[in-house]
Amino acid sequence: MSGVVVALVPAPRAAPPAPVRRTARGLGERLAPYAYIAPFFVLFGIFGLFPFAFTFYVALFDWNPIGDQVFIGVDNFTRMFADPRFWNAARNTVSIWFLSTVPQLSLALVLAHVLNHARLRFALFFRMSVLVPYVTSVAATAIVFAQLFDRDYGMLNWLLGLVGVAPVDFVQSTAGSHVLIATMVTWRWFGYTTLLYLASLQAVPLAVYEAAAIDGAGPWQRFRHITIPSLRPVIIFTVVTSTIGGLQIFTEPLLIATGAPLTCGAVRQCQTLTLFLYEQGFGEFEFGYGSAVGVALFAMVVVIAAVNYLLAGRIRADR
Amino acid sequence: MWSSGREFPISACPKTLEKPVTFRVPLLLVVGALALSAACTPGTGGGGGGDGRSFEFWSFAAINQKVSVDAYHGKHPDVQVKLTEVGTSTETAQALTTALAGGKVPDLVLIQGDNLPKFVQQPQNFVDLRTLGADDVKGDYLDWVMKQSIAKDGEVLGMPTDVGGMAIAYRTDLFAAAGLPTDPAAASALWPSWDAFIETGKRYKQATGKAFLDNAATSVFYQAVNQVSEKYYDDARNLVYDRNPQVRAAFDLGVKAATAGITAGQSSFETAWSAGLAQGQYAAVAAPSWMLNTIRSTAPDTKGKWAIAKIPGGAGNWGGSYLAIPKRAKNPQAAWDYIKEMQSPQGQLEHFTRVGALPSTPSVYQDDKLASSKDPFFSDAPTGKIYTDSLLGLKPFYIGPDSATIGQEFLNAITNVEQSGGDPATAWDDAVRNIKTAIGG
Repeated sequence: MSGVVVALVPAPRAAPPAPVRRTARGLGERLAPYAYIAPFFVLFGIFGLFPFAFTFYVALFDWNPIGDQVFIGVDNFTRMFADPRFWNAARNTVSIWFLSTVPQLSLALVLAHVLNHARLRFALFFRMSVLVPYVTSVAATAIVFAQLFDRDYGMLNWLLGLVGVAPVDFVQSTAGSHVLIATMVTWRWFGYTTLLYLASLQAVPLAVYEAAAIDGAGPWQRFRHITIPSLRPVIIFTVVTSTIGGLQIFTEPLLIATGAPLTCGAVRQCQTLTLFLYEQGFGEFEFGYGSAVGVALFAMVVVIAAVNYLLAGRIRADR
Repeated sequence: MWSSGREFPISACPKTLEKPVTFRVPLLLVVGALALSAACTPGTGGGGGGDGRSFEFWSFAAINQKVSVDAYHGKHPDVQVKLTEVGTSTETAQALTTALAGGKVPDLVLIQGDNLPKFVQQPQNFVDLRTLGADDVKGDYLDWVMKQSIAKDGEVLGMPTDVGGMAIAYRTDLFAAAGLPTDPAAASALWPSWDAFIETGKRYKQATGKAFLDNAATSVFYQAVNQVSEKYYDDARNLVYDRNPQVRAAFDLGVKAATAGITAGQSSFETAWSAGLAQGQYAAVAAPSWMLNTIRSTAPDTKGKWAIAKIPGGAGNWGGSYLAIPKRAKNPQAAWDYIKEMQSPQGQLEHFTRVGALPSTPSVYQDDKLASSKDPFFSDAPTGKIYTDSLLGLKPFYIGPDSATIGQEFLNAITNVEQSGGDPATAWDDAVRNIKTAIGG
């Protein structure tokens, strides 16, 4: 999940180098590590740092990619804060995030607990199969789910019809479209989260569970008093990563409303912040305004990351 | 948004922005997306290489452009045309914008009419076709169509390829089941006006309990608003969309149709719209000439069950495209030779006989090949005559840089009433407010 940087530390030398040619060899040895890590930093500079900094620059312009670029200061930002479409997208994003994160983490917690059970047969098979949605193409997921949830020809509405429920328009209604997207996100990510929890749970000695069972703790009590506390750090971690992920939900809303993809429907009922950014940048070609939205997203993610840092620090302090 | 062809649900490129890995990712989204679309920029290399006679051509998908390219190649075997079918008309315009901003441009590109004004505003990106001889042939085209690709200092940026015209396609079998006349002349007589059209819809609904029309937004509002003498801008190019009574009347018709309970609530070109078309979920749909190809390919099993009637409300046009040559094109002369030959009146007439897109060159409208053409898929309806008639007496209006955005917001407002339970009483005010937000005026 988080980028792991592998530091290449040269092994300590057995014997000090001979005094002759010391400067030349010393210089080479001191430069070599930089050469090893240079490819990453060069690529990061080109595809990461430069575009990042450039976004802040473009956000200060009325930037027409095939016309004029006019410096307008913070006008894009004042416009953004007064733009109901921006706040609508922010609300949608939070709503979809909530609807996807809560079921996803709860489901993963329960599943991890079950998969960790000592007497589970074919444990490896089940542990692997929860990961299948994660390796499925997100575009394919979106298309299949959109068909399942279709108003007139979808299987879900057909089933609802069997029990006498009127068809629900999952794309054109605000609540329905959020549920649809949240379902896709949950389906795609619960397995990944489950495995994270499971890995963490396996560090808890089985003896703890056995001792609790001998002391008379039932399954719920073992779950409540052993599983959850031992998972606390990784729960915080998954909340934060899924929050950051939730801020960037893009493909699902883009693909479900095929008639108005960039707004996710006629009244932007499921347009997320990233989709709004994309609409402004690459639908309207208002690069400056789109960049301003990107900067705002960045600010939100920084705030969430900071909260995470503080929380993680407190958990460490608790121990 | 409105292409001469189907909109496809999946945009070919920007679909893989994955769940984030670190907090570094989101801020790179803008530029990441930038890089993405640059990477998406179709077809580089090959084609229009060195000999100055071959060229590279970007067109829309699903409009069968290959037929024309092959015909051209047949006549000029030494000319290689590298055709790239970029995607929908909107996606083609987006790819072109990205390419113009700093990528490899094609020698020839097809631009849909709704996307054209934004390019006409920036004429420096295109070859002024007068330098290649556009003045000699300009007079061949419908005046109001030609005008749209002429920039402020008279630069000619694109040559018209086709126009849509307007008509209603309807299912004769479903009409018969509802006790409505099936003959095109009799069906046309049912709806001299849009109000009569909506009344017919109610009759159909009463008789069958099923939806009459695919949707109100496109099949009523978008047609009616293109039958006006002045649309979103006045002749002096001032924005008047919010106080033009003709726009308001078209909008009210759309809302009336949306609330009359006669539509299937299927937005044009969506997946379910296509399914509904094939399954007879609705009996009528607004159909400009290019739509016939869409119906034919979406619902091949309904051959012979359709007919074409006149559009209610008078003359108008929906759709049509232009061919343009970007300034940095490597083979502008080869591209111009193609335009000159294929978009000549005779070239367009041949194109009509191949795919049915209505020529933008009025001199061929009386030609027998067009005037007496009948389409067997549509019960031998006299398509050539119906579409050319729908252009007679058309009152041209100015289409400005924000016309497409304004039209889309109006459509959205009606769709909201039709499909999402929006309040019809506030729909107009909501639409106007959304337009003001979108165009910053």
